[in-house]
Amino acid sequence: MEKNGSTKIDIPETSRERKGKAPLLGGSGPGPGPAEYAKGAGYKKGIAIFDLILRISAAAAALAATATMGTTEQTLPFFTQFFQFQASYDDLPTFTFFVIAMALVSGYLVLSIPFSIVCIARPHALAPRLLLIIFDTLAVTLATSAAGASTAIVYLAHEGNSGANWLAVCQQFTDFCQKTSTAVVAGFSTVVLLIFLVVLSACALRKHY
Amino acid sequence: MKGGGLEMGTTTSEVAKSGAAKRGAAVVDFFLRVIAIIATLGSAIAMGTTNQTLPFFTQFIRFRAKYDDLPMFTFFVVANSLVSAYLVLSLALSIFHIMRSRAHASRIVLIFFDTGMLALLTAGASAAAAIVYLAHKGNTRTNWFAICQQFNSFCERISGSLIGSFGAILILVVLILMSAVTLSRR
Repeated sequence: MEKNGSTKIDIPETSRERKGKAPLLGGSGPGPGPAEYAKGAGYKKGIAIFDLILRISAAAAALAATATMGTTEQTLPFFTQFFQFQASYDDLPTFTFFVIAMALVSGYLVLSIPFSIVCIARPHALAPRLLLIIFDTLAVTLATSAAGASTAIVYLAHEGNSGANWLAVCQQFTDFCQKTSTAVVAGFSTVVLLIFLVVLSACALRKHY
Repeated sequence: MKGGGLEMGTTTSEVAKSGAAKRGAAVVDFFLRVIAIIATLGSAIAMGTTNQTLPFFTQFIRFRAKYDDLPMFTFFVVANSLVSAYLVLSLALSIFHIMRSRAHASRIVLIFFDTGMLALLTAGASAAAAIVYLAHKGNTRTNWFAICQQFNSFCERISGSLIGSFGAILILVVLILMSAVTLSRR
């Protein structure tokens, strides 16, 4: 800075830019300069955009899982006097749980899209990101439990179990089995996308400016 | 101008207080991990040591129930053992966080693996829960008979082993949320 005869008043912003200044603050050192602040905002905005894309895909996958499992119904073309050979998702309480849980998860994901947009608009805001990560973790648990339980029942329907004398029903209800398997696959893709969302939110929560 | 207000307003006492809060959270994290280890290990052992033989038999049907008769229970035991081993290894990282409150990258790594293990544990526990439900109630539509009516102690053991697993799931969720909140504080 050149002295040209006029008095100079020291403004706090310029002293912050000089890295050599002894920190007033205890442990965190000198605060971020405007350049670092803007770079951090750009990084967080990128993460938020990726988050929005993943969230929309996860909502689509969850809706597909719900719809596929909810529309399973197969009636075999033969029947006896006492027995009607019909299979639907609500014959097995596990599949009912799957439909309800996936409906909840897809509803939550659709409702969380505005929060994701807020995170894009305001990259340094903490509250929406924290809210998203909390509910995303709960959604992971719910979706995984629904998918895991349904996998167990689908596996049993395909293979049966000799020890418990449980017959494999897939040999008769082929369409039903196929649809439920597809729904379970869609459920697991929702889970994988949700795990990515949680890790992304954790990366964006960092105050790394 | 935007950044100035945030940083200049912080005093040393506030930074020290948030450091102490982070350290407290890291200690709670450590203890919760130890409890989760005990829970998952207990579940794996309880399910893995099931073996009930009924005192009668015929020529064709085997009246013995063990955990590896059902592949879902085998998966349950494997998942619980894996999560238990992971939690033991993550204790080291947890101690590191107690000593160094400002570690960022390691916390993100921990959250990543915690979420993965949460998914694995939940899948195993819910698959076993589905089979336990079926064993208790049976299903008329698919002609699956409720085996609990014969294998009483086997049923009790498999139902009880689910409790530890679900407790560990809850603890893992709390751990992930605590790590996330700690990350967001300065």
